[in-house]
Amino acid sequence: MIASLLAGGAIAATAPFLASQASAEGESGPSTTAPPHRDSADNAALNAAYVRESRMAATYASAVAGLSGDDQAALLLVHDHHVAYAQALKGYLATEAGNASSQPLIAASGGITALAAQLATLEEETVTIHTNSLETLRGIDAASLVASIIVVEARHVAALNVIAGTSPIAAA
Amino acid sequence: MNDQTSSNISRRSILRGGGAALLGGAVLAACGGSTKGGTIARIGEAPEKAALETEHVSDVVLLRTAMSVEKMVATMLSDSRVTGLADSKIAPFLTKYAAAHETNMAVIAPLVTARGGETVNEPNAKLMTAYGNNALELVEAGKTPADVPNLVLALESLTAATYQYFVGLTNEPALRASMMRLGASSSRRAAVAAQLIRGGTVGFVPGLDDKGEELTATLPTAFGQLSAVQAHIGPLNEIGTRAPLAMDTPSLNSLLY
Repeated sequence: MIASLLAGGAIAATAPFLASQASAEGESGPSTTAPPHRDSADNAALNAAYVRESRMAATYASAVAGLSGDDQAALLLVHDHHVAYAQALKGYLATEAGNASSQPLIAASGGITALAAQLATLEEETVTIHTNSLETLRGIDAASLVASIIVVEARHVAALNVIAGTSPIAAA
Repeated sequence: MNDQTSSNISRRSILRGGGAALLGGAVLAACGGSTKGGTIARIGEAPEKAALETEHVSDVVLLRTAMSVEKMVATMLSDSRVTGLADSKIAPFLTKYAAAHETNMAVIAPLVTARGGETVNEPNAKLMTAYGNNALELVEAGKTPADVPNLVLALESLTAATYQYFVGLTNEPALRASMMRLGASSSRRAAVAAQLIRGGTVGFVPGLDDKGEELTATLPTAFGQLSAVQAHIGPLNEIGTRAPLAMDTPSLNSLLY
């Protein structure tokens, strides 16, 4: 009997604590649903981005063939960026990654000025594709990866336009 | 009659122990009589503990902070210490870019009000204290026109990085896209500023000068960086170099809640 009384006291002492916890949960305000880090629904858009980037890399690979010196080094740098984007997207998708494409988007030709103009147009399109994809990407990690690509590809656009002969004040 | 119990606990021992506990409690209570009710006796007075408010990094907070960053950049690019130092080649860029940041504020404002937030029309005070005012003082002290495009490059890079960072914190996917449209425009301006400093295709690639110092590159990295932007501005020190001024994207202590 004494033991049961002691047990009852323990319950009585614990009850207010439990009640306060319940109250705290009830008063914690509106809950927000955090976006997911990953979402399989993003895979289609990310695979499209992966194909686009691999084709951008293929386009630069063919474009640099007729160049030399600083011009070649500059476009090889941009080529390497696109290779890195394709690899990052493929790495993110992992087993969900589709097949890359080695098909250039255009048959870029001419000297550095003409090439830069053609490539700037492609870069602009790519930035638009990626930015529009952000409207549907649910996963925070995928959105962050695409955002980090957009930031530099926007630089590609402006820099190539300047090389193409656009006035710098009009390039951005 | 046997009054022994089978247990080691007897009614007598409980009463004896309970009485001792009650007596001890009474003594302790008497000792603590001069303290305020519900507090533990101690030497000296400590201030009451004030609970910190719980703040959430909502989309509105990010948008308001973005407005404050846009305003800060517009203000710095329009500052007389900067415009007064700019040569005729750079001056039109300052005017155009400052106006672009003001326009961005007008783009963001309805996004804030539509979500029940209040718009912002002041530069981010924390960031101005952290490095904005320092940057303007360095430009003034340096008296070097070359500092102006360097400052433009740093501020536009900072703005682009801010939006890139915010994408990872934003709940609404559509807002992430809107932010990156603004971030991409800043990124383009950063590229143009870099080309003004070191033009041509040679300027795309990172490199070093004959003293081994890093040259400005239009495309310094493959991916957008979230580390502090380094602004190379201000007077040369005694060994002929300039310590870069680090500009960080807004963080929890500089967000506008």
